[in-house]
Amino acid sequence: MAFDFEPSVMIESLPALMVGARMTVIITAGGLVFGFALGALTGLMKLSRNFFVRKIAGCYIETIRGTPMLVQAMFLYFGLPMAIGMRIHVMVAGISVIAVNSGAYIAEIVRGAVQSIHSGQMEAGRSIGLTRAQTMRYIIWPQAFKRMIPPLGNQFIISLKDTSLLMIIGVGELLRTGDEIVAVNFRAFEVYLTVGLIYLVMTMSIAKLLDILEKRMNLKTQR
Amino acid sequence: MIRIENLHKSFGDFEVLKGVDLHVRRGEVVVILGPSGSGKSTVLRCINRLENPTQGRIIIDGQDIMDPKTNINHIRSEATMVFQQFNLFPHMSVLENVSLGPVKVRGIKSAEADELGMELLTKVGLKEKARSYPDQLSGGQKQRVAIARALALKPKVILFDEPTSALDPELVGEVLDVMKQLAKEGMTMVVVTHEMGFAKEVADRVIFIDEGRIQEENEPRAFFANPANARLMDFLGKVISHN
Repeated sequence: MAFDFEPSVMIESLPALMVGARMTVIITAGGLVFGFALGALTGLMKLSRNFFVRKIAGCYIETIRGTPMLVQAMFLYFGLPMAIGMRIHVMVAGISVIAVNSGAYIAEIVRGAVQSIHSGQMEAGRSIGLTRAQTMRYIIWPQAFKRMIPPLGNQFIISLKDTSLLMIIGVGELLRTGDEIVAVNFRAFEVYLTVGLIYLVMTMSIAKLLDILEKRMNLKTQR
Repeated sequence: MIRIENLHKSFGDFEVLKGVDLHVRRGEVVVILGPSGSGKSTVLRCINRLENPTQGRIIIDGQDIMDPKTNINHIRSEATMVFQQFNLFPHMSVLENVSLGPVKVRGIKSAEADELGMELLTKVGLKEKARSYPDQLSGGQKQRVAIARALALKPKVILFDEPTSALDPELVGEVLDVMKQLAKEGMTMVVVTHEMGFAKEVADRVIFIDEGRIQEENEPRAFFANPANARLMDFLGKVISHN
């Protein structure tokens, strides 16, 4: 049986796929907002002077980095409800998985960026009477944030692609939507090609946005 | 103003300071000389507790800085520091560098702090650079901004940690001129430096530290003319043959 490529299938499946893409964007955006907050918090905790605070952050990062996201998703959505006797909404589960997972990687990005700021900056802040927290907020963090942007962009792209794993717990995101279309029309080639292209457009948009952000921050501080 | 008693500081097993006693009076300019690694910068950094003394007492304006009840941030704002490497905040304009302390530490309104900042930048000859960023300045200009930043807190004393050591030779003069001006106005200053000319001309007292102890302490004329300590004679011989 000869394979015939039907571009029209791609056009036809587009409206349905866009609904899935919209879900992918929502899960990614929600997950990354919480993921960044979690990562910033645990990244700074890893720099704490308190041993236990450092350890708590370290355990979180090690556990998440050391286990597959697919396992984390299935544990959270199927496993945890058995223990707490309460179902978790699939959206909540999806966003939580992305947040908890990206948070661990973002923590290391934050820690690395903060540590890369010369110790003279902390000393200069303290030497005019700022507290450690004030120096962190007004001196260290703004400089560190600039250095976080490229690796954050990387992580944002990874997280967006990772949302495709959430099809396994039934999140109606882009890949699962494509999967459902293929189940009906059997046009795997056209549909998965379209799915891939939509992911590509989304990841390229993230890269572009962060590029603009980075340029704008450079303009602000060096001119 | 500042009273240091029996100050010891160790880094691990290495004892940098082995009992330093020093008294700085209000309005006095004290210059600390010494070979590299002698502990002179460490004395300075203990005064505002960027380093924690291992042993001893430091009293600034009646407050024991080692007392847990003492607010160390307040002490630091009264004993500000100028660093060898300037350590300006690169993400802030020159004016923001100067006005940050007054706003965040003293709680002064931002407009007022800007006014104060402009006044101090005028004083160090950099009024026209207020909107520039540190990266756009020469080393000498950066250090003058750092002095303005230290002055902005209206501190009781300014600690200078080798303020001209990272500068190209032709830029040293502009920074020393600002420091001389401050000395003339009665600012209390403790200055770690290798600038013998500054010590001779401006200091009320010169102190020589070597091997973690004060080896000699005198008013500048006698200090340079009749050094009693053998190490100091050796040090001055080396430095002067260089100049």
